[in-house]
Amino acid sequence: MAAVAERPRPDRPLGGSLRRKEARIGLLFVLPCLLLFVVFRFGPGVAGLLLAFTDYTPGAVTHLTGLENFRRLWDDPLFWSSLRVTVVYTVLAVPAGVAASLGLALLTRRAFRGSKLFRSVFFLPVVTSLVLASTVFVWIFSTDGPWSAVMGFLGLPSQNWLSDSVLVLPALALVGIWSRCGYGMLILLARMQELPVELEEAALVDGAGPVKRFRYIVAPQLKPAFFFLAVIETTVSFQVFDAVYMMTGGGPANASYSLVFQLYDTGFKYFDFGYASAIGCALFLLTIVVALVQRAVLGKEK
Amino acid sequence: MAPVTRAPEAPAAVPTPKEPARAGRARTPDAAVPAGLRPRARGRVLRGVLLTAASVATLFPFYAMIVLSLHPQGAVDLPGSLLPWHLTGDAYGEVLGSRDVPRWLFNTVVYSLVSVVGVLLLASLAGYAFAKKRFPGREGMFWSFLSMVMVPYHVTMIPTFILISKLGGVDTYWGLIVPTLANAQAVFLMRQFILGLPDEIFEAARLDGCGELQIFFRIVLPLLKPILATLGTFVFLWHWNDFLWPLIVGQSTEMRTLTVGIASLQQEQVPLNQVLAGSVVAFVPIFSAYLVGQRYFTEGVVGSAVKG
Repeated sequence: MAAVAERPRPDRPLGGSLRRKEARIGLLFVLPCLLLFVVFRFGPGVAGLLLAFTDYTPGAVTHLTGLENFRRLWDDPLFWSSLRVTVVYTVLAVPAGVAASLGLALLTRRAFRGSKLFRSVFFLPVVTSLVLASTVFVWIFSTDGPWSAVMGFLGLPSQNWLSDSVLVLPALALVGIWSRCGYGMLILLARMQELPVELEEAALVDGAGPVKRFRYIVAPQLKPAFFFLAVIETTVSFQVFDAVYMMTGGGPANASYSLVFQLYDTGFKYFDFGYASAIGCALFLLTIVVALVQRAVLGKEK
Repeated sequence: MAPVTRAPEAPAAVPTPKEPARAGRARTPDAAVPAGLRPRARGRVLRGVLLTAASVATLFPFYAMIVLSLHPQGAVDLPGSLLPWHLTGDAYGEVLGSRDVPRWLFNTVVYSLVSVVGVLLLASLAGYAFAKKRFPGREGMFWSFLSMVMVPYHVTMIPTFILISKLGGVDTYWGLIVPTLANAQAVFLMRQFILGLPDEIFEAARLDGCGELQIFFRIVLPLLKPILATLGTFVFLWHWNDFLWPLIVGQSTEMRTLTVGIASLQQEQVPLNQVLAGSVVAFVPIFSAYLVGQRYFTEGVVGSAVKG
């Protein structure tokens, strides 16, 4: 094989005309993608930022309004309310969801008869559209639905969780956890299976129980996966929309009116695209800030 | 697809040609795990109890969806309605007999399949060029593609919608499909995979007198089969379940996808059993695909998770 490896490769210097040909082919192959990206990603990305500084609505004259949209955002109680809803939802859904993912990953970590089946079961909600699942969750959380029956069994009053302003976010968070924790399980499993068995074996020989082995051997090695999950799940939670749209429409009394729901409502109900873009910018900023904070906190001891 | 804020050199579960990532599959069979690390009898019982409870909680919504969709229209009472007695397919007759639902199913199939073919073709062309061809601006272009993953979809959604509506793409298939073909994760995954292919194959083909397009279609694409299957399944799933973009582009009843259509059924106070029957109709294809191509689904998710 050595002779083969010594053949000139594209990475080595080539003759001028050959190199030009290669560059031409390369550009030609990238071109369709490049065009699509310029038109449908970069363009809209820049336009989304610019729109936030205008009062664009379809069919009307557009003015540059400077920071007006952002001032309006600052004074908009609905924006602060939707920000609060989004943050509370995230705080409810993400830590519990990651914990559930970890639990499922630990339970199905070692291969045993049926372990693959269990993993497939837990992953099933991930491939299911949340829009479809919402149709049944509306019934599950209704006054005479099974969730109320379970709560009643525990001695709690039966009520429609989705029309209670305190319980609506926990209910949506439960749905979010149900639909997402299989994804986290898979990410953690993928990492767990790369870990060498020897370290745990050594700890076992030293007399460490399962809890200690997890705490001191497994958990530290899972840190990058936890960090990844925390960032992804937070980002996904910030963008909660499908379940809100399907199950509550933002209600009751805006108690589940999330940031992306406000963006959608502002844009496609009131066609106030300039203001909606400002909300989009706020969402972008929020995502970046949280990612940086998480990196600082979780990624500190690398 | 979930946006990612992570450097691409993240723990690579990106499948490489030699060792496809077997996500969700035990790499170590039970025998290879030291006996001391396997749960003892009591631990096994506990594990079984917990797993069963978690499975029941996970599967209950699916069970309820199916049983209630087969329930005659009318009041739903507990726990009687959850028992599989007096089942009837009436709701399915209503749903499939209407003009809309079959049309929505057709739209969803078009949206998903055309997008899969488009994304795979464009991303493999670009991925091949990024991995194996040298041309001016290659690095800059690649990294700016990738950086777009960090910008939330919702920021670009409004300008993209304005653009599409100006171009007359509202309520058309191309308006629905074309913007989704610019898929940065797909390009990244393709490039990573193709980087692992040895140059000698392409050199040999070139010496044998193959043209560049011939090399691409006859040599590169067949080598890409594993990643095409993985990415294709994932893109299919994503488009099948997509909601927000079809919701704003497909404004007429005829141009809705299944997810959007079912959302409208629910809002129009259509009886529960029919809404659920619609959900089952939309779920069955994905579920069948999941049963057949489970490995590809999970690899697509893990692969795209570390996409960059």
